Amino acid sequence: MNVTLIAFGAVVVVLLFLLAWALHSNRRHESSITASKALDERGRAHVDSLPQMRQALKPEDDEFLARVGTNGLRSRVHKERRRVALSYLLALRQDFEELMHVARVIAKLSPEVGVAQEFERLRLRANFLWRYRIIWMSLQLGLTPLPQISDLSNLLSGLSVRLEEAMRELGERAALVAELASSPDRRRIHPV
Amino acid sequence: MAGLAKYVLWVWELSVAAQVVVCALLLVKRNFLRIPLFTAYIFSNIFQAAVLYRIYTRFGSRSWTVTVMAWSSQFVPELLRVLATTEVIRLILRPYRGIWALGWRVLAVAFAAVFSFALIDSWRNLFWAIALADRGFHLAFGIALVACLLLAHYYSIPIQPAYKALLGGLCFYSCTVVMANTIGRVLFLRGAGDFRTGWQLLTMGAFVAVLATWAVALRKPLPQPLQPELLPEAARTYWETSPRINARLRRLNEHLDHFWRPEATQS
Repeated sequence: MNVTLIAFGAVVVVLLFLLAWALHSNRRHESSITASKALDERGRAHVDSLPQMRQALKPEDDEFLARVGTNGLRSRVHKERRRVALSYLLALRQDFEELMHVARVIAKLSPEVGVAQEFERLRLRANFLWRYRIIWMSLQLGLTPLPQISDLSNLLSGLSVRLEEAMRELGERAALVAELASSPDRRRIHPV
Repeated sequence: MAGLAKYVLWVWELSVAAQVVVCALLLVKRNFLRIPLFTAYIFSNIFQAAVLYRIYTRFGSRSWTVTVMAWSSQFVPELLRVLATTEVIRLILRPYRGIWALGWRVLAVAFAAVFSFALIDSWRNLFWAIALADRGFHLAFGIALVACLLLAHYYSIPIQPAYKALLGGLCFYSCTVVMANTIGRVLFLRGAGDFRTGWQLLTMGAFVAVLATWAVALRKPLPQPLQPELLPEAARTYWETSPRINARLRRLNEHLDHFWRPEATQS
């Protein structure tokens, strides 16, 4: 097989796949109202379970089991804690995606958008997803020792709180935009 | 017409008939008012078919002069094709002023970058210059179009089915031309017999399929693209929050990096 043929064939297949993917997806027309609703409902759910997550990943339990010496139970607890850590990582990803979603909704509704800002966000998103995948795989394969999972707990709780704060703030703004957009007198208030 | 295989001639006639149908639908359903450049593109294709018919019946289809004349007649439809695509994308993205400002830049940069590389490459081989430039054009066109559609997807901008059919058809045809030109060249270099017939059948067959899709999409008047609510408050919110979100993302990435390499945290 000719190299040029393979190269162009691959490019065309990728292009057709991306075309089908971009055109087929049937996302509904999202307004700022649905965005703020999504923030209110889903963003809060992860943060509500934060204390339980913290409790589940506390290193004291592991130390206690090591002292008592029940190896079977200890390994089971290890597995469970790993599972919890993975769920937690997934929750962080969801929070992150919601933050991205809000950022996109605001950009969509905005009459002007910073090209550099948008491209930087795209780059940062790609970086985040890459790092997330590596951590996810290392947790799945058990390469990350449990003390580090505890570190992750502290890190994630801090991040989640910050994310929640950011999302609440953005949600309020999105709700404000939605309220103004749905106002019958909006043309008199701020014509575009 | 001397030199053209019988089935190639049939597909060509079918293609012209389909173009006439699409044109009629554009006029009867008054779609030309919404997409005038797209209408001009279809008209230019019919006109080009008439010119080619005249050239082939007069001079045959095998001489170098005829080949150059045939390729030269491509210029106007190709130009109108780019303009028609920009017109449709503009219709979809224009209501979102911020995203459109981003979209036309993506379209222009992607097209210019890929097409420039293709042109430079094509002039290295003068015998194949026109075919390689044509392949480069369609590749650049396809990449730019898909980049714009991905942008619309990323921002969840709704695209109505009729516009999807128009853009999908344009991109699909360009992808087919890229493949047909590549396969044709490979076959020629290997000394395979009549690669022209295969090339013509593939490109014309794809165009007929695309025209059929467009005819279905244009059987009703094109809908008015959805108009979102844009407010100055959203711009203020955007400029306030966007740098902060990016800063948070940067920090988040740094934290994740430290998690992966704990020694970096200690230093």
